[in-house]
Amino acid sequence: MISGLAALILRAIVVLSGTAVITFALLWNAPGDPAQAIAMARFDALLTDEVIDQVREEAGLNQGFWTAFVAWLTPLLSLDFGHSAVTGREVLPDLLSAISFTFPLAFAGLAVGLVISIPLAIIAAKHPGGVIDRMAVAVASLGTAIPAYWLALILILVFTVQLAWLPAMGARTPAHAILPAMTLGFGVAASLTRIIRSGILEARGQPFLPALKRRGVPDKAIGKDHVAPHAAVPVVTVFGLELAFLLEGVVLVEVIFGRPGLGPFLVSAITSRDFPQVQAVVVLTALIFVTVNLAIDVIYRMIDPRIGSSDA
Amino acid sequence: MRSVVILSVVFVLISILGPFLAPYDPAAINIPARLSPPSAEFPLGTDALGRDTLSRLLHGAQWSLGLAFVVSVIGLVVGTLIGLAAALGGKIADWVVMRTTDTFLAFPELVAAVVIAGLMGAGTWSLIFALSVTSWMRYARVARGIGLSLQSRGYVVQAQLAGLSTASVARWHYLPSLLPSLTVVWTGMFARAILGISALGFLGFGVQPPTPEWGAMLLDARVHLRSTPLQMIWPGLAVVVCVLAINLVGDALRDALSGAGETHD
Repeated sequence: MISGLAALILRAIVVLSGTAVITFALLWNAPGDPAQAIAMARFDALLTDEVIDQVREEAGLNQGFWTAFVAWLTPLLSLDFGHSAVTGREVLPDLLSAISFTFPLAFAGLAVGLVISIPLAIIAAKHPGGVIDRMAVAVASLGTAIPAYWLALILILVFTVQLAWLPAMGARTPAHAILPAMTLGFGVAASLTRIIRSGILEARGQPFLPALKRRGVPDKAIGKDHVAPHAAVPVVTVFGLELAFLLEGVVLVEVIFGRPGLGPFLVSAITSRDFPQVQAVVVLTALIFVTVNLAIDVIYRMIDPRIGSSDA
Repeated sequence: MRSVVILSVVFVLISILGPFLAPYDPAAINIPARLSPPSAEFPLGTDALGRDTLSRLLHGAQWSLGLAFVVSVIGLVVGTLIGLAAALGGKIADWVVMRTTDTFLAFPELVAAVVIAGLMGAGTWSLIFALSVTSWMRYARVARGIGLSLQSRGYVVQAQLAGLSTASVARWHYLPSLLPSLTVVWTGMFARAILGISALGFLGFGVQPPTPEWGAMLLDARVHLRSTPLQMIWPGLAVVVCVLAINLVGDALRDALSGAGETHD
């Protein structure tokens, strides 16, 4: 267990280092002068050629990729993301304030998704192949094919334009979060319903259940010691999968609904070629991703002893 | 299965023949007829510049479906080669390749694609590059997983003992076993590529106007949501129908090949 854990953490560190290399390679190869980008990140606007040349020297940009990479990475390791190339403001506080809008919305979307999908999956799995089951699967398939940005426009059309029940643009009141959360939640529900449904069917088909019953093990003990651990594995998997979906979806949804958050932050950073802001978002999402996946791997090993003996 | 085949043929025909079926030039601006509702003259209405929406959708199929096809095939080829390299290259190569795969998977696909396409400068080539770079990993994992399971098979061992080169073993003994699973993965990735291309188009980082890509059409139509909501319904509907159809093909393939494409990573 301990050596397995160490291997997982080592792997996470390797992957994180890899993400740093990829991110820097992207900035290195992007059209434009990386020295200028770094200079703008480090100092406020108004750059003279001397300053840029000095940065080129200091950042090791004239000494090849790897020297420059180390010089670029060092401040990032202490979470120093520098200053915006456009506004000259520090990147980190702005990024954190964007995230403070994004995370609650992502969780709200996940909550909506769970509230819809769990009951739907349970009802559907009651009679596999029945009318309700087939309808639930069909709706879920349709749901996974609908792009979030189109669903958002349709929800705005129905609930804001036609019915005038809910506000669409901005984030002034909690009511402004309803449509974005619904957009995210429907997408989450579509994929979750299928996963939970097949999880239930699979758990029910396990041959050890009748065996335990006939041996006289009480139902409660079967549920707690045998069914629950089995059901827990797909639930953990789902959180890993949904994290990616939520992060991608929330970016689009925030842009469409004009909410402050990671999405508009990223889009405006890219549009204005604000490298410090872009790299901060990229590094941060990779960090979140790797950390959550590490946590998921650790939880897997705790709940399923079969995993861990063979390295994936 | 038959209905699924017919459906795919119809889509392939539409994306190839679309430009010939289109009643108008998709770029022909006709200001007096701007934002007109569906009529005999314009079956799906017109956009803000008076361009015929049906013609734009039909021309757009080439971009939305064609580019998604290109991207998913690039991912398939690159990912398969990388996965085979991991499976056949020994332990160190395997570790390096799989950690590289993990690294690329550490970025949310769409976010990474937006960043790459945006930094490279919006355009068709950036779009293809951005979506290919972010989509080869699944194929690599599947190819490597099945590849490893083939290693100890009798016919593979025998071929290696007979002195076949690694490349020949990969070509004649690995690839045929990989193809069914990879095809199933490919349908899923094809559908994702359609969604990705239109998402990037919608954000303004994809195919640039006046090219009638479906995501870009949605972006145009969004402004006129209140006055002419139908203009935004059509391109979205086109995306949904195509993605749904491809997913159905994928499901049918998975059933036909039963077990292919599952849990090999």
